[in-house]
Amino acid sequence: MTTSTVQGSPVKALIVEDTPVHAFILSTILRKFHCEITVAENGNEAVQLFLEGKKFDIIFCDKEMPVMPGPEAIEKIRALGESHVKIVGVSAGYDLEQSFMSAGADIFLPKPMKFDVVGPIIQEVMNKKNNSMV
Amino acid sequence: MAAVALKNQLNAHIASMFAAGFLDKQFQELQILQDDGSSPGFVSEVVGLFIDDAEKITGLIAGLLDQPVVDFDKVDALVHQLKGSSASVGAQRVKLSCEQFHSYYEAKNRDGCVMALALLRNEFYDSRSKFQTMFQLEQQIEACS
Repeated sequence: MTTSTVQGSPVKALIVEDTPVHAFILSTILRKFHCEITVAENGNEAVQLFLEGKKFDIIFCDKEMPVMPGPEAIEKIRALGESHVKIVGVSAGYDLEQSFMSAGADIFLPKPMKFDVVGPIIQEVMNKKNNSMV
Repeated sequence: MAAVALKNQLNAHIASMFAAGFLDKQFQELQILQDDGSSPGFVSEVVGLFIDDAEKITGLIAGLLDQPVVDFDKVDALVHQLKGSSASVGAQRVKLSCEQFHSYYEAKNRDGCVMALALLRNEFYDSRSKFQTMFQLEQQIEACS
């Protein structure tokens, strides 16, 4: 899949990541798919965005972060009634998948992330978003 | 002609970094992201972030190991963070050094951690030097264009 096949209104993506390297790489990948990107440096910042009424189509969430770890933030976001947002847990350990999925994530991606894995996920979110607007 | 020679030099340098284990295939993922033309300077920028991050983290670890009572959980978290960022840029030797660190902080072994940090720093400084040579060559190529 190439970035030129992605059409429709931009996907609103939230990156929850405290490590600048990871946030920058993921932002660069998502920009290629014309996503609108917001970055939160920890789980608490991410939850605050939803409490402020912000809406996102997809969240990429790291696990280990200061203030509030990823799975806890995901639980709180789902508890706010945000059942439609696609949540992708991202971490360096394969054995961490369960903690993300138990918290309410939809997908787990291991780090380091591969570029060609993100595209189909964004396309699926975009298709769902555009179909719901019809 | 000068640009061609410099490009050959750059390619040889990067190949030697792969051959010596400084880089792994994750670095090629970064190059792919840059090569489609929409993110010029992406590789140098993300490696620059990694270098800044690594310098900060190794300094923090040194500070923790210098305390009368070592907080090994914090050491663990910092090494984990550095391992993650080094893996994401393909800095293989740094990543492997972080993995070797693991047994020492699991055993709450301060002296072992101090030694592991010294090894980690050596690998990081060598990697940083190689990256800096890479970026100098890229700048010279750009200057010729």
